[in-house]
Amino acid sequence: LFQGVRQAQWLTKTKLVEGLPPPVLSIIDSPDHQFEDLEEGVKRAISHARFWDTTEVAPRREYYCPVLFEDLLHLCRLMSMKYPSLAKRMLARNYRVAATWERESILLQVRGLNGILMNSVAPIPPVASKEEIVATEEHTLETFHPISPTIDLQEVNVYKELNDTGFRDGYPYAHPHTLFFLESANVRPRRFRPEQLRAKMLMFAFGNALAKAKVLYGNDPKVLEQPIVVQSVGTDGQLFQFMVFQLNTTDLVSNDGIKNLVWIDPDQNLYEKAQCVPEVKKRVVTKPTGIYGFQPDTFKKFLALYLHGTV
Amino acid sequence: MAASKGQRLLWHGRCWFSQAESAVSPQPPDSLYPPIVASFTAKSKAAKRRRLEHFRQRVHAAASVEEKLRLYGLLQRPKYMVYPQTFALNADRWYRSFTKTVFVPGLPRRAAPAATKAPGTVVPEAAKGPEGATGVAPGAAKTPEPGTAAPGAAKASEPAAGAVPYLDLGELRSLACDALLQESFYQTKKRPFLYRDQDHTPGPFLTQLVSTLAASLCGRNPLLAASSIDLKPEVNYYWHHGEEVVVHGHRKGRVDPVRFQIDDKPHLQIRVPKQLPAVVPLDSDLGDVPVIDHKPSKLPLFKKQYENKVFIGSKVADPCCYGHTQFHLIPDKLKRQRYIRANLEDQIEVLYQANGIASLFAWTAAQAMYQGFWNEADVTRPFVSQAVVTDGKYFAFFCYQLNTLALTVETIQNNPRKNICWGTDSKPLYDVVEDGNVKGFNDEVLIQLVHFLLNRPKEL
Repeated sequence: LFQGVRQAQWLTKTKLVEGLPPPVLSIIDSPDHQFEDLEEGVKRAISHARFWDTTEVAPRREYYCPVLFEDLLHLCRLMSMKYPSLAKRMLARNYRVAATWERESILLQVRGLNGILMNSVAPIPPVASKEEIVATEEHTLETFHPISPTIDLQEVNVYKELNDTGFRDGYPYAHPHTLFFLESANVRPRRFRPEQLRAKMLMFAFGNALAKAKVLYGNDPKVLEQPIVVQSVGTDGQLFQFMVFQLNTTDLVSNDGIKNLVWIDPDQNLYEKAQCVPEVKKRVVTKPTGIYGFQPDTFKKFLALYLHGTV
Repeated sequence: MAASKGQRLLWHGRCWFSQAESAVSPQPPDSLYPPIVASFTAKSKAAKRRRLEHFRQRVHAAASVEEKLRLYGLLQRPKYMVYPQTFALNADRWYRSFTKTVFVPGLPRRAAPAATKAPGTVVPEAAKGPEGATGVAPGAAKTPEPGTAAPGAAKASEPAAGAVPYLDLGELRSLACDALLQESFYQTKKRPFLYRDQDHTPGPFLTQLVSTLAASLCGRNPLLAASSIDLKPEVNYYWHHGEEVVVHGHRKGRVDPVRFQIDDKPHLQIRVPKQLPAVVPLDSDLGDVPVIDHKPSKLPLFKKQYENKVFIGSKVADPCCYGHTQFHLIPDKLKRQRYIRANLEDQIEVLYQANGIASLFAWTAAQAMYQGFWNEADVTRPFVSQAVVTDGKYFAFFCYQLNTLALTVETIQNNPRKNICWGTDSKPLYDVVEDGNVKGFNDEVLIQLVHFLLNRPKEL
């Protein structure tokens, strides 16, 4: 997407709020969760992904990015020792979603394989209060005239307006919880820039929420009494983007009325640099191997997003 | 020679000036000549012995484990590539002879964890007891928790006072069924790629099952809480066993050790920082190792020359350097229907056993090498690991104890120790999945899997 998050906002009729929402922040700040014990585990996970996982000297991004993600998720899953209801989550890889909506007489759709989805039995409770939702009515969506909002989107002839969550009816883990995006291409031009990655995360989170809303409440555009919340995490192995999206309305044709809300916490580094081979200048080791600039806050946010909804 | 002559002159000179000391030190002077040893570069047996001795000293004196591994695999020569998942007939006998392994049907008896509360009051000991040789009532099973009742009796519903809570079999069963249903029924997937059925359903199901079971059982097993899960890691091991004469080439006629290399890619493996306890003592003898008189190439096994790798799944610096459980997925080429169509039903079990033996030998031996042992410095404690081999529906469980790494011609002569592998036949986990229901779910297989995951050293 050309304009990044601004364009995605217009397409999905969303208002942006900086930072993470208060319920997630309260999970981070609450002293119940022993993040200190996990710090050692997170450092081990980073070292495992960036140094130890391969017979070569240094693993490439397409290996270390998924390995890091799996290790962090394993650490989060171990928290289900304390919260048994965390076990009611299922990961789905390679799943397909489809959602269609109209936006000022332009038909838009989101389809296909996206990332890794985590489903849960219980939905996440709405994050924003009723007043905030009503307050979005006054907010105007920013347009970027003269650039059309549908620039850079692929125009496709669609014969079936499809809305599919990716799962059949009766699936016990019915509610999409978090979407994970791994930018693991080795070559930099193949990877999404952070701005575009955030836009992609927003579009797919919206697509999932919309498909779920249409399944629950039908196809008529209306304001939802029970807003649907979908979270999203995107990473390229080092930089993390966190996002919480709340779908308040499926009435997307007009530009007025209640808007959807999204909270974005962009560009969180988990560590500054992972030195695989010691840097040697003039036969003196200037930088030994190791992880530099480790920031445990990023993992705390990751864990908080994981625990959100059950804690 | 000039240097040594000068040294001799100097030595004489010293001797001249220190005649007083020579009376004090009664040791006879060392020989004037340098020590007479075999040549280093000649084409003779003595030279070969000297070179081998030099190599062994270099490896013994290596400063770190990485240096040891590098020296161990330094010389590259053509070697047999051993594939754990093979279509070869009776491959398990061959693999047992290559790795000096004794196969014991059935699984070893272990300390019982807390009782399982199942709706049908299934007696847990009967399910986990060995299915093969020793079907003795497990009265001798060590039970650490004081609250467990006498074995053989159905567990009452009162929980043990203050002990570990009961394993809820129903909940674990529902987790397994949910994972199975999600992968095979609920998630909309396209048709599987040609001959890639394993990646479509059983692969994701196995990953899902193991990760959710490990997460829910980590409260009962603190070792799992410190574990590290690898998806599709590499496991490699290189060793020598036996001797042969080089057939052709510029080295024709020389006697060479037979070299083997296993390059394995399990679907999933769990590595832990502490070692699993030994099942039997180091020197136990539980059976015979088959002796095969043919060359390994008759199996069929083919030679190639490439890097000699020893790898457990992560480098030496990783704290999780011991293995816990491996999960292997049988590829589409070796599925049951093909064997049945070719009238080779008895080879189905051979496939599972060969996979278990070869993969676990490679893993345990590589773990031992990471601790500094090799075939000249044999292991001082047994290394134990477990494996589950499956094709998505049928599960076979294996447990391996590595007692010896000394398999080369010189070291195997006075070595009475043998490696031991326990294993079961493959059993189905369920019958069929229909309309969102799993029919014929087999609890025994699930209980066995849970016991595997709960295995831990006695201190924990």
